[in-house]
Amino acid sequence: MIYVRRSAAVVLFFILLLVLSAFGLLAFRDGQFDIIAAAFGIGACVLFVTLYNVAKTVFRHIDRYVLIICIFLTGIGFIMQYRLNPEYALRQIIMFAIGIVALFIAIAAVKKAGNFGKWNYIFMAGVLGLLLLSLLFARVIGGARNWVQILGMSMQPSEFAKVLFIVTAAYFFSNKNRIASILPFLLFSAACILVLVLSKDLGAAILYALTTLVMFFAGTGRALLTLAGMGILSAGAYASYRLFPHVKTRVDIWQNPWVAERTEGYQIVQALMAIASGSLFGMGLGLGSPASIPASYTDFIFAGLCEEFGIIAGVAVILFYLLFVLRGALIALNARTLFHQLLVFGCTAMLCLQCFVIIAGVIKMIPLTGITLPFISYGGSSMVSCMALVGIIEGVAVKNGEYDEKKIESIGGAVL
Amino acid sequence: MTDARKNIRFLIFVFVLLFAAMIFYLVYAITVYGERWFASPNNPRIGSVKGDVQAGTINDRNGEKLAWSNGEDREYSSDSSLRESVSHVVGDPYGMTRGAESFYAKYLYGFAEDAVERISDVLVGQKRRGSDVWLTVDAKLSDSILRAMGDRKGAVVILNYKTGEVLASVSNPAFDPYKIKSYSGKTGSTALFDRATMGRYPPGSTFKVITTAAVLENPELELKFHDCLGTAEIGGKDVQCAGKTAHGEEDLEEAFYKSCNTFFATQSLQLKGELLKKEAEKFGFNDDFMFDDMVAYQSVYSKPESDIDTAWSGVGQYKDLMTPLHAAMIAGSIANKGVMMEPKFLKTAQSPTGTVLYSLQTEVYRTPVSESVAGELKKLMLGVVSKGTGSAARVGGLKVGGKTGTAEYMDDKGKKKEHAWFIGFIDDTKHPLAVAVILEGAGSGGKYAAPVAKKALDKAVDLGY
Repeated sequence: MIYVRRSAAVVLFFILLLVLSAFGLLAFRDGQFDIIAAAFGIGACVLFVTLYNVAKTVFRHIDRYVLIICIFLTGIGFIMQYRLNPEYALRQIIMFAIGIVALFIAIAAVKKAGNFGKWNYIFMAGVLGLLLLSLLFARVIGGARNWVQILGMSMQPSEFAKVLFIVTAAYFFSNKNRIASILPFLLFSAACILVLVLSKDLGAAILYALTTLVMFFAGTGRALLTLAGMGILSAGAYASYRLFPHVKTRVDIWQNPWVAERTEGYQIVQALMAIASGSLFGMGLGLGSPASIPASYTDFIFAGLCEEFGIIAGVAVILFYLLFVLRGALIALNARTLFHQLLVFGCTAMLCLQCFVIIAGVIKMIPLTGITLPFISYGGSSMVSCMALVGIIEGVAVKNGEYDEKKIESIGGAVL
Repeated sequence: MTDARKNIRFLIFVFVLLFAAMIFYLVYAITVYGERWFASPNNPRIGSVKGDVQAGTINDRNGEKLAWSNGEDREYSSDSSLRESVSHVVGDPYGMTRGAESFYAKYLYGFAEDAVERISDVLVGQKRRGSDVWLTVDAKLSDSILRAMGDRKGAVVILNYKTGEVLASVSNPAFDPYKIKSYSGKTGSTALFDRATMGRYPPGSTFKVITTAAVLENPELELKFHDCLGTAEIGGKDVQCAGKTAHGEEDLEEAFYKSCNTFFATQSLQLKGELLKKEAEKFGFNDDFMFDDMVAYQSVYSKPESDIDTAWSGVGQYKDLMTPLHAAMIAGSIANKGVMMEPKFLKTAQSPTGTVLYSLQTEVYRTPVSESVAGELKKLMLGVVSKGTGSAARVGGLKVGGKTGTAEYMDDKGKKKEHAWFIGFIDDTKHPLAVAVILEGAGSGGKYAAPVAKKALDKAVDLGY
């Protein structure tokens, strides 16, 4: 019996085609040939092909579709970044390269380390440390105190903390001694959320809270307690609505941004106009004015994407995220230990929720909380942490694959 | 081993629902609100293409050019009275007003053409030309209405109640588009404000049409007998008729012809605020008016609490507010068997290559009352013109119905003044016209607004509408 792993090379080919044609278009944007755009496009494609081939050679059992989707979204990000500001695109591709390193480290770590045992306590300290770091030393950008200058580089510690947070959550929610381990973790999680709220990093606070709830339910299956948790979360949200003026402003703007078209509502109104201008098929790459939306290259990149490529592309990107989530969930369902199930599902859920919180915010479906769109938004910390999350997912996929291979070999088959 | 598989399957289901909701909302929001979001005067895209795209021509319904591009400049009719009469409908290219120039920017600046065409134009380096639009208004009719209004501030709307096409929407003072920039710094000038679609006035006695509709729909609450003494005490306060005229013994029909306040105040108490609000909302009060063709401000009816407030609100003098466009729609719906059509401003849009991008499709906005109630109301409104307060609106040889209104308000100096209202229609299948006239601070509706309505209807019939 011989199992042949299906190749995703065909999909990769189409992604490269998209990236190359987009950069071709960008190269001719100003009437004369822009060699940097062309070189960037080719460089990105080379990087993608190398990543795909090296990854599947080094780790034979990685899930190719998860990797391909992550390449596709990053490619879309490169196109939008370059279109908005070529300099940012160059920085983004460097961060992507660093992200690849993070990806491989994460795969190797998950493969080797079991459930990280006592390391989890160090991780917990690390998470709180990173979050406190931003509360105490960070500069305020866009109302949130989450940027820290280290060695001349701006970083968002809350992004890196995310990865460790999920590992510890998976560890404690899968622990045999349930009550004794879950309760302290919930307290720890509450502390993290509190620090984030104090840093005014609402997006991250919501993300941590929702991820905790989702992983709690996945790990324990206690529906009533999960509902109670949602109740506490809603109460907390309502309390912050009453207590913090900046939260109230957000909600008011969400209800009707048009009364403050030129002031508080400016950003969201510009985003809605951009999406509306794009309509179904978009204004065409380079023909819109996404730069008129504040934060168009980070949090609001989805609006710019819809403007130039149309709602059809917006919906396609949402569907790709969904595909990523389903693929991640499949790996979770295949995982052999509760810890690994929760680990993969936690990473998947966090990316999924992050995606929902920002896209739904940008299209005014829910109140806006600033957070990056995974893989597409500009931002080094975000890119590296997303790649690390993918690494964790792939690490478990590799473990699943090795287990399956052994089983198949034991009955005389082979996996190619 | 404890297993999370079952829980994970459930959560996947939740995530799929979340994403499905997101996609649904995105598509829904753009379909419903997209054009409105795009057409905002604050949309920088419209300004940013101006250098690359030559804006298309705005014509009236008969092809009379109202605004067109000449190189970098925008040109308008050389007849100053004509270009001012359509100034609010046409708008301006700088986003200072909300007329066709910004609301139809999608067509005028070629955003409606597809991406392939646009990209190829950019690559070829050609200066693009936007699409042309034909509005539903008639410039000649608008011009004669503006002249008929003279120095009176206010607005007049004439529409075809069968199709909803707005034939004239005139707001006085109008502005001269050639001098648009000079209005921006001027304080106290309201010339840029479109009174027809955004002006909200107390409806005064024209609201009695709605109060009466509520009575006709709830015959058991009809006030069978009333003796008007010129004033009536309600909840310790007085309600007066115009000039404190005592109308004597009367029924609903007579009270409607004479526009008797004490009758309708007492009748309103019998109907109660809740029912009045329900009836007003059936006619479109408190609705956001998300019309496809224009931005129209909401008409407001807030539920009265005390007896005296209820009494006044049924007479149109509480906190009720109504726009002239909405007033014309209300009058039209009575003549149109209870069916209110969505008002339309855009007739066609055509690309430079001759592709028709848009052509008017009539739409029912709502059906406030049944055909039989509309029929009874129509009879009452015909009576107002044939033997009541609206006699000045008679148009030779045609059956005209209407309702006058004299709406009290306080001016800036705290002085009591009166807006003159007339809303009405021609009851004739060949001339399905509805009209609304408001003249700010002019005085009695029957004396000032009705004659303007007559002139407007006369001219419209003359022009073949």
